[in-house]
Amino acid sequence: MDYVAPETVADACRALDADGSHCLAGGQSLVAMMNLGLATPERLVSLRRITELRGVAPTPDGGLRIGAMTTHAELADLAPDSPAATLLAQAARVVAYPAVRNRGTLGGSIALADPAADYPVALVAIDAVIELVSATGRRNVPAREFFRGMFDTVLTRSEIVAAVRMPRSPEGAGAAYEKLSLVAGDFAILSVAAIAGDDLRVAIGGYAMTPLLVAGLDPAGEVREQAARELARLPAPPGDQRASTGYRRRVAPELVRRAVHAAMRARHA
Amino acid sequence: MREHNVRCTLNVNATMRDTLVRVDATLLEVLRENLDLTGTKRGCNHGVCGACNVLLDGTLVRSCLMLAVDVGERAIVTVEAVAGARPFSDVQRALIDAGAIQCGFCTPGFVMALTALFAHDPRPTRAAIRAAISGNLCRCSGYVKIVEAAERLAGVAP
Repeated sequence: MDYVAPETVADACRALDADGSHCLAGGQSLVAMMNLGLATPERLVSLRRITELRGVAPTPDGGLRIGAMTTHAELADLAPDSPAATLLAQAARVVAYPAVRNRGTLGGSIALADPAADYPVALVAIDAVIELVSATGRRNVPAREFFRGMFDTVLTRSEIVAAVRMPRSPEGAGAAYEKLSLVAGDFAILSVAAIAGDDLRVAIGGYAMTPLLVAGLDPAGEVREQAARELARLPAPPGDQRASTGYRRRVAPELVRRAVHAAMRARHA
Repeated sequence: MREHNVRCTLNVNATMRDTLVRVDATLLEVLRENLDLTGTKRGCNHGVCGACNVLLDGTLVRSCLMLAVDVGERAIVTVEAVAGARPFSDVQRALIDAGAIQCGFCTPGFVMALTALFAHDPRPTRAAIRAAISGNLCRCSGYVKIVEAAERLAGVAP
């Protein structure tokens, strides 16, 4: 194996354009997988020296652009200036453990695309856009289209996640993230991200291989029953070592209700 | 260009250490096997147990989830150096006084997690203490005495 730590995105993309090349961001999943023998990259392209992948800045349209190498710990401290920022910070605070949050990154997590991870579901609810960069240019992909399946995204071989762009949130909207896990720091059995403005946007993670938007919810009515009806139209959720299909199906509507009600309570009049 | 071993200069416990490492060697492996700093323990080796915690530029990290070649110029502090010139640091003393150590294998990881906590919050609440050690597994104590030790140090419990 070899290792390079380029200082520019252009150099990193060039180094990635070879069989067996892999980005190394915070390493909190990749190095674990290497230790377990589940990943055997031939070349690691460390992104740690690339300053343009860092930093959080407002965008001209009133949103926020978050560099891919921003850590979970940094996101946990994101100023709650908007429902989207509040939601992302809530999700960041429940990713793994303190030591892992100090190193793991936003870009690394979404590029890995674990179906039980916290950011994918939050970013789909936020309607965020993933900014990708390659040797040949840049493209912006909506979070809904970015995640394709278990550990599968639209990223091509020499592409890097450069940033996440969050749109301006509706005035007075509220947001909430509800995660159900066996113990603190574990991946979710299920998680729900909700943004309540003039309309309601709810996404559920862990119910399928990619986050699902849950439509047809009216917060004035019985949200749990509505969610049960909507989820019943979808394919059955997975069963795995954390929870069975039946358990996920049974608890999902209640988790949706909690997130929706928490988001409603967080709204400003 | 394909190099399996590279020369690596690490800033460990305020000393520059020059060593030859495999490109895929973790910081944990290099600390223990190249630098003979065996206080940092290898438990799960995939980030779950916390026994390998060290400080990287003052923040808590898993040494098993960092490649030694990716550390660069950043400063590492291991459990061997937390007490400075004293026999034990305040955190270590508190764990001893509370009887919070049984087999001791997880202890260095707890020491590092609590050292990081107290460095930025000298009077943490019980909730903050529990959150700070949420990524550390102890299979002997049930955590009660570890939390008690931290609470005593924080002055929030007798």
